Amino acid sequence: MTTQFDAIFHGLSPELGKFRIAASGMAWKGVDSDKMVAISSADIKWAQWLRVARNYQLRVGLKDRSREIFDGFGREDHDKLSQLLKQHFSVTLETKEVSFKGWNWGVTDFQGEDLAFLVSNKASFELPLSEVANSNIAGRTEVSLEFTTPSGSKKSKGAPDEMVEIRFYVPGTVNRDRGSDA
Amino acid sequence: GTGRNEGKGWKRFQSYKGEAALPKEAESLRIFVDRKAQTIILPIHGFAVPFHINTIKNVSKNEEGDFTYLRVNFQTPGQLAGKKEDTPFEDPDATFIRSVTYRSADGHRFDTLSKQITDLKKEVNKREQQKKEMAD
Repeated sequence: MTTQFDAIFHGLSPELGKFRIAASGMAWKGVDSDKMVAISSADIKWAQWLRVARNYQLRVGLKDRSREIFDGFGREDHDKLSQLLKQHFSVTLETKEVSFKGWNWGVTDFQGEDLAFLVSNKASFELPLSEVANSNIAGRTEVSLEFTTPSGSKKSKGAPDEMVEIRFYVPGTVNRDRGSDA
Repeated sequence: GTGRNEGKGWKRFQSYKGEAALPKEAESLRIFVDRKAQTIILPIHGFAVPFHINTIKNVSKNEEGDFTYLRVNFQTPGQLAGKKEDTPFEDPDATFIRSVTYRSADGHRFDTLSKQITDLKKEVNKREQQKKEMAD
């Protein structure tokens, strides 16, 4: 038996597609391009559920330590998805807590291939290190990361805004005179 | 702790109580100014990341080739002295985001965004100022 979810995105692509789950695995197929992403059940190791910009994201960890992400799920899809993952792949859908506090201070944490920024122990965002084109340290307390941007970005209505650089202020690299009471 | 910020007027603020409060516009993966929540939402690699206007210092904009660049600068400790450092911080030892820069081929939209953010900042500053005067 196959269960289908409509209007799902694969990765950060703007293209909508159909997402299907069955005992054999899961697959996404683009509506416009007919692009196809298929994951076989034997490769599925873990699954996470988190709130992102395009509603909820299903993040699937694979045997080769890579992962696939699918955006656009509704809050109401959680229980159904959770049950299907359990039933077909014996995988528990874990919820990853995300912060919406609006603060610009927190903790950076290297998590696998990502640099995560945590606010009050919840994820604020994650940056894939594979997309960092350049990094710089200035004045011992400032770290900047520059990102690769697609060169052929054309002017199109509704195109996403592209982040090209982020700078962090990292104190604590200089000697502290008060122990670690943070 | 030493409580060095106690009584210095650092006020706790928050953009949204939970994920359900995130506005629909965040879906576009474009910068969005949510005036009601006094918050700017930045798209960061698929996440919709809110920043309360109190964390924002200013924005700057410049044009290069076919693109317009918008840089959002945040309040952080250890910024170059010039004005006296009177901004208190909850945790000055944390890691701070100091700036995030975006590019767009749509310069008009970045003009509008830049103005919206600047206006919101002014509005909030003015209100703070009035509150202070009332308290005196």
